[in-house]
This record gives sequence, structure tokens and C-alpha cells, in this order.
Amino acid sequence: MATDTPAPSPPSESTQTPGRLEQSNPDYDPNVVIEAQNLTKIYRDFWGRQKVRALNALDLEVRKGEIFGLLGPNGSGKSTTIKLMLGLLFPTSGRAIVLGQNATDVAKNERIGYLPEESYLYKFLNAEETLDFYGRLFDIPAKVRKERVQELIQLVGLEKAKRRQLREYSKGMTRRIGLAQALINDPELILLDEPTSGLDPLGTRDMKDMILKLRDQGKTVVMCSHLLADVEDVCDRIAILFQGDLKEMGRVDSLLKVSGETQITAENIPESAHEEIRQLIAKHGGQNVVVDNPRTTLEDLFLNIVRESEDRPGMRPAGAAAEKKPSSDQTH
Amino acid sequence: MYVESFPQFSEWFLPGLLLFLAVILSGAVLGLFFGYLVAAFRHGPFEAFYVVAQVVAEAVPDFLHTSPRRVVAMARLAIKEALRRRVVLVTFAIFALTILFGSWFMGGGSEKPEQIYVNFVLWGTQMLVLLMGLLLSAFSLPDDIKNKTIYTVVTKPVRSTEIILGRMLGFATVGTLLLVLMGLISYFFVWRSLDHSHLLVGPSQTVAAFTAVDTETQRSTVTGKRVSQNALYEAATTRDNDHWHRLEIIADVRSAEDPKPDSQDVIRTIKRADGKIEYQRVMCLPVGNHTHPVTVTGEGDNAQITLGNSVGYFRARVPIYCSQLTFYNREGSPSKKGTNVGKESKRRGYVDGGSASNRSTLSRATFSFDNVRENRFPDLDFVPLDLTLGVYRSYKGDIEKRVIAGLQFESIADKPDVENKFISEVIEFETNEFAVQTLPVPKKIVGRVVAPDGSLVEEGAYDLFDDFAGENGKLLIVLSCRDINQYIGVGKSDAYLRGQDQAYWWNFLKGYIGIWCQLMIMIALGVALSTFLGSPLVMLSAVAVMIVGFNSVFIRKLAEVDEQGNLINEQGGGPIESFVRVVTQQNTMVELDTGFFDTIIEKLDYLLVSMLQMLTYLAPNFGQLNFSNYLVHGYAVDNNQLLIGIATTGAFLMGLTLLGYFCLKTREIAK
Ligand SMILES: Nc1ncnc2c1ncn2[C@@H]1O[C@H](COP(=O)(O)OP(=O)(O)O)[C@@H](O)[C@H]1O
Ligand SMILES: [Mg+2]
Repeated sequence: MATDTPAPSPPSESTQTPGRLEQSNPDYDPNVVIEAQNLTKIYRDFWGRQKVRALNALDLEVRKGEIFGLLGPNGSGKSTTIKLMLGLLFPTSGRAIVLGQNATDVAKNERIGYLPEESYLYKFLNAEETLDFYGRLFDIPAKVRKERVQELIQLVGLEKAKRRQLREYSKGMTRRIGLAQALINDPELILLDEPTSGLDPLGTRDMKDMILKLRDQGKTVVMCSHLLADVEDVCDRIAILFQGDLKEMGRVDSLLKVSGETQITAENIPESAHEEIRQLIAKHGGQNVVVDNPRTTLEDLFLNIVRESEDRPGMRPAGAAAEKKPSSDQTH
Repeated sequence: MYVESFPQFSEWFLPGLLLFLAVILSGAVLGLFFGYLVAAFRHGPFEAFYVVAQVVAEAVPDFLHTSPRRVVAMARLAIKEALRRRVVLVTFAIFALTILFGSWFMGGGSEKPEQIYVNFVLWGTQMLVLLMGLLLSAFSLPDDIKNKTIYTVVTKPVRSTEIILGRMLGFATVGTLLLVLMGLISYFFVWRSLDHSHLLVGPSQTVAAFTAVDTETQRSTVTGKRVSQNALYEAATTRDNDHWHRLEIIADVRSAEDPKPDSQDVIRTIKRADGKIEYQRVMCLPVGNHTHPVTVTGEGDNAQITLGNSVGYFRARVPIYCSQLTFYNREGSPSKKGTNVGKESKRRGYVDGGSASNRSTLSRATFSFDNVRENRFPDLDFVPLDLTLGVYRSYKGDIEKRVIAGLQFESIADKPDVENKFISEVIEFETNEFAVQTLPVPKKIVGRVVAPDGSLVEEGAYDLFDDFAGENGKLLIVLSCRDINQYIGVGKSDAYLRGQDQAYWWNFLKGYIGIWCQLMIMIALGVALSTFLGSPLVMLSAVAVMIVGFNSVFIRKLAEVDEQGNLINEQGGGPIESFVRVVTQQNTMVELDTGFFDTIIEKLDYLLVSMLQMLTYLAPNFGQLNFSNYLVHGYAVDNNQLLIGIATTGAFLMGLTLLGYFCLKTREIAK
């Protein structure tokens, strides 16, 4: 992907229509882009019988300009959450407010971009036609639309294949055109469902860079993934879901910080000196010695949560995983 | 062919509109009620109320904010889908193949090949186009939902109205273009298949090909049938397009002052001893509905005789029906249905021919025509009056003899108390039972002028248009029965004056407008149903609706009920009673045992039949939009029928759009 080409120009403030709630609700905080309150989704079968409780009383807030990650194993309710935010699903209870509007309100979509977990696109169209079609659904002047189509094709690196029907595309190429489609309206809020799935390592890197660049342009990104490395690399804040329950939420750096421990990093010290240094440090501070909190890897944190949840299903207080020995009465 | 009933658009529109609004309103109320029930089941009775209220509250802005730009974008997508999935191509290929090879098995040997051809292309086009509309619309939305491509669409600022209207518009565009193409090809095909000419059978294309007619027997040596009056010679043509014609040379004798015949078919001009001039003209006798114009170049034995291309195939006859039919009984007072002959006919009333004891019956049927103006009629010496009469014979009559009827023409005065009235003599004619007969009404009719007080003003020959129809263009035709003990039955649509033919292409176009309307309904139906059903179910239900729609008149008749609520067309009862009879092997004539079960069976039957009848009103009346009967028989499609058809189509499109909208709106897309 040609990441050096400029992304579409950032949205000018004047083109943005404030949502209905924005105007009417005095409590509305323009910095909160998504607000989920007690969001619950139960899938039912044709007869209304309960099949799966996919999401359980989720409360979360996504703030303007951050990259928010939803992390969880397969089937933990990540896609369900995103679909609820888009109005593709109706909540069983609770509600989702997106850009100050109800999630089922069509008007909010003017400022949203969405990349589904698989790129669901019309196979009989080619890349140009695809972007042109989605562009026509927005109130964009024809000239701007045409320019933007070419810009985006360049951005995702599909110039050579832009006249080929999507049925001939590989998984990775479909993913790229899917991203381009999500950016056609230069959205403020971008929801990405497993953005790196199906991409090779290079493509994954490009995708991550692109996400970071979108944040730098002032956009809010919500992405979900089961790939720990993706989330760790790009997300500012994450929520960890397991079987529909929110297990953990917070800033990535603070989640991975282990308090109550100190880690020392030093260079060129022979093995024999270790014991001595330990003693020395006990007495006084040394030079070129880094004293810091050690970080667990996200993998450790994640596996820890999963293992723990299997023992004790249900909600779990945020930050508990980072304690060395979480007190058992705090969980329920 | 006759028209069962012919409502005027102006009379029909307002009640039709009210009915439509009533149906929409009750549909909406029912829809809300069911929506509430479903919601109550899911969310409890109070929450449900809120849910329903929200859907209704969102419907208004959805319709108001529907953006033409997005509708067009969706339509473009639908068009690309239709083209790239090759449905259109395949449909067209089937059509083209049928047209190419169709002429092999059609028209051969028929007297009226145009009927077969027109019927074939119209029926084929209709079926193909409807099937294509159904395929396109039934698969589009369900595929979108199944492939989840709809996710990327509904997460753009697209409203449900736009998804539905866009699809309808796109498929309608594709269908319209295909229909236009098929129409043009069909027109060309029918014209090419019928267009032909012949040569004379004989040594040369001159008089030498003719043989003299036997003046004794006046019968043709070729066919053995009687030849025309004044025929002198006859000849035959070659066999082309599975038929041949007989040619005759007839003597057209005119006095010297009269103008020459205005035609190019005169082969000899002979001055006769009595001073008159005999023009010998070559005539081509018609086969079926067509003939060929004859052109003679030169005069005498060496003159070349050529037959032109066929004429008479493409006609759009215009029947001008009366605005009012009134029956009068023997005593001369108006009666609703004419004389009662003991045989119920909904359509016809009977005119009484009197009896031996009372010959002077005043029983008659009067047809009042409006707007009888010369420019509406063909440029002939007479005005054609087509009659389809039924005869009811009492036992006293002579079965062999044809019944004689009488026609009389009268003017209808706007101010009968001051204006004189023209009354013609009675013109008698033999009735032709079971078939249409054409009476040439002369443009000059012998009659009398009567003053308002009934006294005679003068007698003479008066002009049909200038005098009888007069200023106001109103004409009264009085039909009476001239044979005692016989009765003539006639209905409003059984008598019409034949106006100037309409342009054939326009009539053809009207036939295609009918097909177009059916296509639009089919597409809308497919799209609306596919908002809540999967493709196979959409196909099934749309076909079911189509079958009901094409046969709604028949089904309605089946389900007709009299005042007591019993089935009129009862012969062994309704569906359940018939089933009981089949199982218990009871004769349809035997009454079922009266009792508890019988009552239940009857009530259930009544319920079923009423539901069936309701269904026919819900299903679009495809039969009403099928104008092929007019085209096949060479009649102009009635403009009122066309307007009513278009209005009905519009109503269905609106209703189906609403249905589709609500179903899509309340559907959880990602489920
Ligand atoms: N349409 C559906 N009908 C029934 N169950 C579903 C449906 N979609 C998802 N689920 C169930 O809901 C749970 C969460 O699914 P999903 O949100 O797709 O998980 P994730 O995206 O985290 O892998 C799973 O158990 C899945 O089986
Ligand atoms: Mg998922």
C-alpha cells in the first residue's frame, strides 16, 4: 500500500451537521463519539426462543480522536457490538448513541465508515464502479466524488486492478477495496471489524499505519480483532470481551503496567557482577541503571483473563488482571 | 368479442380512488395491529406501543427525505446487476430464437394468420417479460441480504424507501427497454410475416390469364362457388403465404356524365349501345381479412396486371357504443330489463315481437348515441353498425326461419317541446344469431320530420349526420322485433357503430402499455415480497398472485353469493362440501343431510369462498391489463380501459412500495 500518498482532505467543520441529540440534549458531550448504555443482545430463533446471549449489559464510551479496540476470542460479541452501533441489529435492551444520535438513525451514517468482517461487496462491479456507487449514496458533488475515488484507489494500492470485477479479487485485495469503500465519505468515525484478517504481514503493517494516520487526521477509530499484536500496536484504549461480558477496559499502557514490581535494565554487566549489583542497589542507586515497572505482554494479560473467566464467569473489575494476586472477593 | 362492462374512466376514478384509500387505510391499520402484536410478544405490551409509534413516526421523514440521487444510484446498481447477471440477455435470446423459428410452426393454412401471429408475439412477450421481472426482483434483495452486501449499503445514509424504490426503478428501466426492443421486433416480425403479394397463374400477367365466367350457372370454375355480380372473367393467383386469391373482372357500368372510377384497375373501357360506359375492372377477392390492390398498366390485351402488397391485416376498429340502452315493454313504458323471457341474462334484455292477438307491440330497445359526427366515421357511403343479437323463440315460432328485426333512426332534440324531430322509416333485416352482423346504415335515410306536437312537417330523404344526429350529435337507434311470438335479446355492448379505424401502431403500443403495466406490478410485487421472504418463496407467492390475477374474473364468479349468502354457481357446494361429496360418493344433485355438520360445512365453505373472493381483490387484476384480445381481433383498445389499467397499476405500485418499506424498515438486517 502506498502509505505516502495523502489521505482525503480532513473534514471541514462547516460541512458537519450536528445530530439531533446534540442540539436537544444538554448533557451531550461532543467529545463522546459512541456511548453504549447497558447494551444487551440476545439472538432468538424464529419462534422467539433464546439462542445466544451475545452481549451482556455493555457500558462503554469512545472518545473523539482515539483508537478504541475491542478484543476478544472468536464469538465473544465483538461484531455484535459493532453491528449494534451501526443499527444493523436492534438491541434487546439498553441503547447505543452514536455521534449523538440513536444507532438506528440513518442520518448518522453520513459521518460513519464501516468495514465489515468480510468485505461484502458487489462482485459484478469493478473497483472504480464500487467506489463510485458508494460515493453516490452521499451528498458529494460529482467532481469531488470522482477525485476521491481515484485518491482512494491509490491509497489502497489498487491502481492496476481498478477495472477488474471484484469477483476476480484475492482476499487481500477485497479487504483493501473494503477499506477504501469505508473512507469514501471522509468519515469522522470509522468502525473496522477485523481489519487485518486475510492480509499478509506487509498488508497488515500497511493497514495499521493507515489506521494510525486516520487518527492523526483527527478521526475516531473503533476496531475489533482477536489478534493481540494488532490491538497492542495501534489502540489507545481497549475493551476485552469474553462470551459477551466486558472483562477489562482501559488505556493499553496502563493495562499492561504491573504495579508493585520493579525492573532494572542495564548494559554490559558480566554475569558474575549480578549479585554484587543487587547488593549495591540495595544500598545506593547506580549509574546507567533503568528502574521501571515491568510490562506483561498483552498475550499474558489476555490468556490470564480467559483462564480466569472460565473459572468465574461474569463481570470482572477493570485493572484486576494487572494485580499480581487479584483478591478473589473483588470478582463476582 | 364483446366487452363485459365498460366503465368510463371519469365515472370510475373517484370511487376507485376512495376504494383505494380505504384499502390503504385498512391495510395500514391491520399492519399496525399485527406489528403491535409481534412487538408485544417481544417487548411486552407497553414497550410495544412505543416501538410501533416510533416506526410510524420515522416513516414520515423517511418518505419526505427520500433522495432522488440515492434512488438513482440504487437504480443504476440494479441495472448493472440485471445486465451483468445475464438475465436480460438470456430473456432476449429466448425471444429472438422464438421469433426466428416461430414462423415455421405458425400461421400455416389459417384464414386469419394475423390473429395467430399477434396472439403469439403478445403472449410470448408477456410471459417472457413477466418471468424476467420476477426473476430479477425475486433474487435481488434476498441475495443482497444473504451475501450481506446489504450491510455496506444500509450503513451508508440510505433509507429503506430508497432501497426499494431504487430497485423498482432500475428493474423497471431494464424491463421497459427490453419491452420496447421486443415490441419493435415483434411489430417488424408480424409485418414481415404477413406482407406478401401474388402473381397470376397463367401464360402471362395479362388478361390472357383469365377465363370467362359461365353466365348460366354463375359459378366459378375454380372453386365451384357463386361468383360476384357482374363478374365477366376469373383467374387465380399463385399460392403464397399458404393461400391464394381469386381474381375477377367485373363490369362497372356508369352513365356518360358520371366520373370515371377513381382507380388504376380498369383494363378495358367499352362504350355500350345504350350510351352508358362499361369499365371492366380487375378485382382481387379477399381471403380472411386481407386483399391486394390491383394495378393495371396500359389498357387492353397487353396491359400488365400487378398485385400490390397485402392490405387489411392491421386494423384497429373503433366501436362507438351507445351511452344508454333503454327497454320498453308491450305497453310502451320503460322497463329495466325488457320483457321477461324466463331466462336470466345479466347482460341482455329482450324485445317482444307481439302476439297474434296483439300485433301492435310497443316493445323496443333504444340505444342513444352521443357525439355522432361525420369525422369519427370511415370515409364510406355508409356507416357500419355491428350487431350481435340473441333470439329467444317461443314454441309458436318457425324454427327454420330467421327472425326479422327492425331498425329506426330518430334525432334526439335538446328541447323536445320546440324542436322538430327526424324519424326514419323502419328498416327491416334478418337477424343473424350467434354471430356479429354488420349492417350498412346509409348516410341518406328516408323518413319524416315531425313537429313537437306530433304533426307531420314533411317527408323525404334526410342526412344521417346533418339531420338525424344534427347539431347536438345525438342519435337514437330503435331496435324492434318484427316477428310475432319471437323475442330479440340485446345488451349494451351488443350494438355499436364502427368509427374510423385507429392507427394500428398506436393500438399496438396500447397493447404493450398493458404488458408494461403488468411488468411494473410484477417487479414491485417481487421487490415488496423479497423484503420479508426468501427468493423461492417470493417466486412461489408471486406466481400464485399472478395466477389469481389472471383469473380473478373467473374466481369472482365462482365465489358469487346471492342475497341469502348461498353460492350462485353452486353445483355440489363449495370446496368443503364438494370434498365431503367426493369422499362419501354423493351425487351433486342430492341435498346433503340437513343437520349440525351440514350447517358447519356450509358456514366453512362460505368463509373459504369469501376469503377467495377477497384475495381476487387484493391480487392485481392482470387480466384487466391484458389487451391482446383487442389486438388479436383487430379492435382498438378502449381508452377508458387503458386509463383505468394505468391508474390501477399506479395504485398497486404505491401499495406495494408501502408494504416493502415497512417490512424492510422493521427487519433486523444483520440477523
Ligand atoms: N445472526 C446470528 N444468529 C444467532 N447467533 C449469532 C448470530 N450472529 C452471531 N451469533 C452468536 O453471537 C455470538 C457473538 O458473535 P460475534 O459477535 O460474531 O462474535 P465475534 O465477532 O466476537 O467473533 C456468537 O456466539 C455467535 O455464534
Ligand atoms: Mg466477528
